[in-house]
Amino acid sequence: MTRTLVVLFVVTVALAGAVVVRAVVPAPQEVQPRQPAVPDAADVHVRNGVTCEACHGTPLAGSSATAPIYAPIARTAIAPLCARCHADAAYMRQFAPQVRVDQYAQYQTSVHGQQMAKGETRVATCSDCHSAHGVLHVRDTRSPVAPANVAGTCARCHADADLMTPFDRSPEAFSDWKGSVHAAALLERGDLSAPTCSTCHGSHGATPPGVDTVANVCAQCHVREAELFRASPKQPVFAAMELADCLVCHNNHAIERPDDSWIGFESPAVCAICHDETTNGANVIRSVGDGLRALRRDTDEAVSLVARAEEAGVLVEDGHLALASAREAHVRLRVLVHAFAAPPFDEVLAEGRTAVEAARAAGTAGLDELDFRRTGLAIATLFILGFLVTLYIKIRRLPPITN
Amino acid sequence: MKAWLADRLPVAEVEAAIAHKTVPQHRHSIWYYLGGMTLFFFGVQVVTGILLLLYYRPSAAEAYDSVQFIMTRVPFGWLIRSIHSWAANLLVAAAFIHLFSVLFLKAYRRPREITWITGVLLLFVILAFGFTGYLLPWNELAFFATRVGTDIAGAVPFVGEATVRFLRGGPEVTGATLTRFYGVHVAVLPAIATVLVGLHLLLVQYHGMSVPPSVESEARRAGRPIPAMPFVPHFALRDLFGWTVALAMLAGLSAFLPWELGVRADPFAPAPAGIQPEWYFLWTFQALKLVPATVLGVSGELIALVGMTAGALALVFLPMLDRNTDRSRAIVTWAAIGALGFMVAMTLLALVGGHS
Repeated sequence: MTRTLVVLFVVTVALAGAVVVRAVVPAPQEVQPRQPAVPDAADVHVRNGVTCEACHGTPLAGSSATAPIYAPIARTAIAPLCARCHADAAYMRQFAPQVRVDQYAQYQTSVHGQQMAKGETRVATCSDCHSAHGVLHVRDTRSPVAPANVAGTCARCHADADLMTPFDRSPEAFSDWKGSVHAAALLERGDLSAPTCSTCHGSHGATPPGVDTVANVCAQCHVREAELFRASPKQPVFAAMELADCLVCHNNHAIERPDDSWIGFESPAVCAICHDETTNGANVIRSVGDGLRALRRDTDEAVSLVARAEEAGVLVEDGHLALASAREAHVRLRVLVHAFAAPPFDEVLAEGRTAVEAARAAGTAGLDELDFRRTGLAIATLFILGFLVTLYIKIRRLPPITN
Repeated sequence: MKAWLADRLPVAEVEAAIAHKTVPQHRHSIWYYLGGMTLFFFGVQVVTGILLLLYYRPSAAEAYDSVQFIMTRVPFGWLIRSIHSWAANLLVAAAFIHLFSVLFLKAYRRPREITWITGVLLLFVILAFGFTGYLLPWNELAFFATRVGTDIAGAVPFVGEATVRFLRGGPEVTGATLTRFYGVHVAVLPAIATVLVGLHLLLVQYHGMSVPPSVESEARRAGRPIPAMPFVPHFALRDLFGWTVALAMLAGLSAFLPWELGVRADPFAPAPAGIQPEWYFLWTFQALKLVPATVLGVSGELIALVGMTAGALALVFLPMLDRNTDRSRAIVTWAAIGALGFMVAMTLLALVGGHS
């Protein structure tokens, strides 16, 4: 009986131990050999003669020479494995003399790399973005990391609420970005220089920019705006309040097309987030907002004036040149808004108003010219008609035609 | 003054010739005015063309800007340029109507064969004026239409490529083409036209107006002569009346529908959709489009080109082909109706296709 109890105890302990070991030790399927993957012929490795053994080592014992089976690579081992070649400048130089070799170093600084180093295998590693057996060059438009595809690749994980919630990350970033001016530029206009996820977050060293570095990220492209902001009275205030500079007015992923109505005190004005008509700077907000809107309105009026003259057939080239200057002034003014001060803004506003006046004058001159032409035509027609009547009378009075 | 001139020039003879010159008066007399109308438009082209020459600059870099300058800065430049463009189109229309009226009235019969040949050659010269002048503003439409137009010459065997290079001044339509077209438009063609117009008018004066065979036979049967009106003042005043109406029409068109300048030509830009030549080349353009790529192994474009060349030669030598019998005249009439119908149908097809 006692012996039986001892055996049962040993068996129970063994079973419990097996369950514990099963839970702690990596899943057996991760180390079990799987059906061999067939590398895509377009794969950069296949095209450069890199064989299966280069990554997987020797085939598993017992697999045939014609259909070798390799052990899969643990997720935590993927990045170091790729780095064996991709961090080796001497090795990589033979394929492309100027190819970068800092991807692994960057990856180790990224949130993905740091989590992976802690054994968190749900975060991204090389093969998640580049794929494993069909790796295409980033310049290949089919590549998941080509500019137009990057956001979709990131979204495979970052738009998955189940995957993001444990990491306290919002799954909305992708959908927010898709509605932004940046996505419209990239996906609708095909502007490959337009920002996608990796432009702001980095690719291999992907990390969310901190509150204090957001302006640096935006400044990669919006250089002038960032310069003006840094020199503005607003910058120290935002720094003291620990506000994320550009994001306060422009948002992070859902960046909308800015509108002149953003400057003011009523919705959708972004100034109204912090200001009302009694706070400091209200006068500047009012004059900048009114100036922008007045210039836009006057430009639109001048455009229709010039168009009226052109539709009637008068060329108004001066008007077009002036309108181009007015539009340019408006764009510059929108940039100068980031100075949060009246003086530089007022100078350019005056230039814009002068250009609008010139366009208006050209349009008016065109319409005057049209009146002149039509009046001239009417007078000329009268003379011609008079001449025709005279001719007709003269012809009627000619002697009759005889045989 | 008159006596002074009479001592030195045959004034009396000219006066006598004018006084005795008459124009037959019958139910088809209206068509006699078409020649004068064509001459009027030609004169307008000469005058306005010379005025445009004062400001136009024939280079790819300056042509568009100079036409824009003419239309915006030069006093009445817009009017001169618009009249030149409109009169060019009306000139082609008047020349075509004149040609077909002469053809249907059989005015090319002996002894007016050379008058006819100079007239047909003048029509070709007018079309060449249109083709070369169209490119001169150096706008997008003209640029691509010229590229398509000059490409056609490439279908000619052996010498096609050389002909295209000759026309363009190189393998592509460039500033060299513009300069070449300008030279042809303002020097070569006017020189040829002056000789042809002079000869044509001289022969018209020499032979007088032709009377259609049907009118001739009717008068013969009735046994009475065909009435005739004095050229001066009866016919000349009526001519003047028509020219004045044409002038008023030109002024109205120019004031209310000024000729567009279009978009500046960009040789590196893709050809815009719906590129078409001027209306008077539309039928040729459409016919070339409809011809199959190859017919029994021969290039369709070449076949069309051979057909058109044969048609043009037949037109030039029509007086020699017509044996002046009733049957022969009927064949010419029906062939002309067929050709006219073909041209109108092709033009309509091109217009419908271009706007659908």
